[in-house]
Amino acid sequence: MSDTAFPRLDRRVLADDGDALHFCSTCAFSQACLSQGMDKSALMDLHVLVEHVGPLHAGDHVFREGDPFDAIAAVRAGTVKTYVVDADGHEHVLGFHLPGEVIGLNAIDGEHYPCNAVALDTVMLCRFSFPKISVLATRVPGLQQHLFRLLSRDIGNAALLAGDWSADQRMAAFLIGLSRRLSARGFSAERFQLTMARTDIANYLRLAPETVSRVLKRFQDDGLLKVDRRELELLRRDQLEAMAAPILRH
Amino acid sequence: MPSPAFDPLLLRRYDRPGPRYTSYPTAPQFQHGFGEAQLRDAARASNGDPIPRRLSLYVHVPFCMSPCFYCGCNRIITRDLARADTYLTRLYREIGMTAELFDRDREVIQLHFGGGTPNFLSPAQLQELVDCLRRHFLFSSSPDRDLSIELDPRYIDPAGIAELATIGFNRASLGVQDFNPVVQAAVNRIQSVEETRAVVDACRVHGFRSVNIDLIYGLPKQSIDGFARTLDTVVAMRPDRLAVYSYAHLPELFKAQRQIDAADLPDADTKLSLLQLAIDRLTDAGYVYIGMDHFALPDDELARAQERGSLHRNFMGYTTHADSDLIGLGVSAISHIGDSFSQNPRDLPSWQIAIDEGRLPVFRGMRLDEDDLLRADLIQQLMCQGEIPIAALERRYAIDFDGYFAEALDKLAPLVDDGLVRREPGRIVATTRGRLLLRNIAMCFDRYLDPPATADTAPRFSRAI
Repeated sequence: MSDTAFPRLDRRVLADDGDALHFCSTCAFSQACLSQGMDKSALMDLHVLVEHVGPLHAGDHVFREGDPFDAIAAVRAGTVKTYVVDADGHEHVLGFHLPGEVIGLNAIDGEHYPCNAVALDTVMLCRFSFPKISVLATRVPGLQQHLFRLLSRDIGNAALLAGDWSADQRMAAFLIGLSRRLSARGFSAERFQLTMARTDIANYLRLAPETVSRVLKRFQDDGLLKVDRRELELLRRDQLEAMAAPILRH
Repeated sequence: MPSPAFDPLLLRRYDRPGPRYTSYPTAPQFQHGFGEAQLRDAARASNGDPIPRRLSLYVHVPFCMSPCFYCGCNRIITRDLARADTYLTRLYREIGMTAELFDRDREVIQLHFGGGTPNFLSPAQLQELVDCLRRHFLFSSSPDRDLSIELDPRYIDPAGIAELATIGFNRASLGVQDFNPVVQAAVNRIQSVEETRAVVDACRVHGFRSVNIDLIYGLPKQSIDGFARTLDTVVAMRPDRLAVYSYAHLPELFKAQRQIDAADLPDADTKLSLLQLAIDRLTDAGYVYIGMDHFALPDDELARAQERGSLHRNFMGYTTHADSDLIGLGVSAISHIGDSFSQNPRDLPSWQIAIDEGRLPVFRGMRLDEDDLLRADLIQQLMCQGEIPIAALERRYAIDFDGYFAEALDKLAPLVDDGLVRREPGRIVATTRGRLLLRNIAMCFDRYLDPPATADTAPRFSRAI
C-alpha cells in the first residue's frame, strides 16, 4: 500500500509505460477493454484513439456543456471538477474526479456533453476518443457497460438530496468517500490534500463555506482529524466512517 | 533555550553581510511582474483552504516629526499634521479594496502599527483608523488577539496611552536606542529617561499586556560604560521584551545615516563587547534570549511559545501567530498571503497614484515554489527554535535531506567544524555558540545567495553581527 499522499505522484500511481499497441500498466480503460476482447490494436481498427493529454492547468476546461461529444477521459493526475450553471448563472458542482476516474461518461447516451469539466490543478488525462459512439456501441456492445463501472464511487447528488443529512454527516461522507477512492488507487487513505477549494466543497455538499470550516474545526478539536492548510490527516477514520455510513449506504 | 555563548573571535570571523531573514525569500527577490492580478489569485487561493487561515494586519505610518540619523526604515520627515489626513483618506480606500479579497469569516487575530512613527497619528485618528478596519474585517474576540503599536515616547503622554488602551491596543513597542546624552546628540534623538518611564508606566497602568523596548548597539559615540548605564536604566523599567539591534551603517542606502561620522562609530571589538555586555546584563536580569536580537521575560508568551515549539517569525519580528496570513497596508507594507509575498510601493506618490486609480498598490512580489517553501520552513525553524528538524522536513516535503541539500551541507561544513552547529539523528542543532550566528547558518540554505556574498560585493544587507 503506497504511503503517497495525494496529489503527490509516484510510479505506482502514474505509469507512462504504454505505447500504440499496449495499455499503460496503470491504465483506467485497459480492464474494461480487455474484458471485451479489445486490445489496443483492435481499438485502433475501430478508429478509437487512446492518447495522453495534458498537462492542463487550473482553470482549463476539459469540455464544456454543449460541446459535441467525441471522447471520454480518465484522470491520470490532478483533480477535475464537473459542474453545471443554472439559468440564474449559479454554478452547481456535480462532482470531483480523481486519478483513475473517468469523466464524460454521462454523455455517452447523448450527442453533447451535459456539463462542464474543469481542471482544479495540474491535470493529466488519458483521452479515449471515437468518431461515433454509436459505431462503438454496435461493434463492442459490452464495452459501455464496463466503462460505466469506472464511474466514481462518489456520494452522488441523489444520495445527498435524498436525506435530511446534517452538516457533520455530509462532511464525514465526503472525506471518507475521498479516502476510499484514493486508497483504491494506491494513495494513502489517511493523508491527502483537498485539492478542491472550500467554496467548491461547500457547493457540492450544499453547505455554506463557513459551515464547512466550522465542521472541520470541530472535527479537529475532537481529535478526528488534523488540518494543515490543504492537507488533511484522518486520525479517527472509524468514527468518521460511522458518521458517514447512512449516506454512503445509498 | 540556553543562553548563547559569546566567542568574540568566532563572531568577528563570521561578521559578513547577510539578510535578517524576516522572510524567505527576502524582499530583494520580489519580482516586478507580480501585480494586482497575482495578488488576487493568491487571496483567492488562500480563501480556498478548508479552514482558511486567520489574518494579521500590518499598517505602516511613514511619518516622523524628526529624523533619527541611524534609521533605515521607510519614513517621511514632516511636522505637517495635515499630511496624516491625506494619508488616512487613501489608507481607508486601500483597506476597502483589500478587505474585499478575503472571505468575511476569516478573523483578524493580530493588528500591528509600524512606521515611521505610528503615534504621528493622534489617538483620535488612530481610533478612526481602527474603526475603519473593524468595519471591513471581522476582528476575533479571542483573548489572544493582539493590537500592538510602535511608539515614539517623545510624542505621546500618559493620557494618550489611556486613549490607546480604550481603542483596544494591548501591546506597545517603544524606541529608546540609548539613554546616553552624548549618543542621543550624535543620532539626533534626545529622549529623557523620565518621559520614557512615564510611557512605560502608563502602558502598565492601562492594561497593556506587554511592553517592548528597542535598543541599538554600535551607534556613534557609544561606550561600554554609557551602554551599561542604559541597560541598567532599561532593566529597572522591566520591559516584557527587548530588541537589541546592531547598527548597520549603510549610508549609500540610507540618506539619514550620512549625518553620522563613521569615525564616531565603535570599532568592531567594541561593538562586539557592547553585544556581550547586553547579553550578560539582560541574562543576569532574568531575560531569555529568544533569537536574532530579541529577549523576553521567561513568562512572556514569546518565551513560552519558543519552549512549546510554536514560535514564528515574520516581518514584524517574532510572534506567536504562526497560523495567519499577513496583510500589509500603507506605503511599503509587505503582505504574506498563502504561498505569496507582495509589497506596496516604497515611495508615497506611487502608492497614492495606484489607490487614486482604484488599483491595489502592488509594487512587486513573488509566488513561492516548492523549493522556496521548503527552505522558508527550514529557516523559520532555525530562527525560532535554533534547530533544523530534518526528519519532519523529509516527511513534509517527501525529500531525502542529505541528497537534496548536498550543496548547502557543503557550505555548512566549516560551521560544523567551528562548532556553530551539531548534527544529531533527525536534526541539526545550533550550539550555544551558534545561537548568535543563526543568520550565517541560514545563509547556507539560501538558494538566492549562490555564490555567497564576499567582502567585495556591494552590501545590500547589514553585517551579521
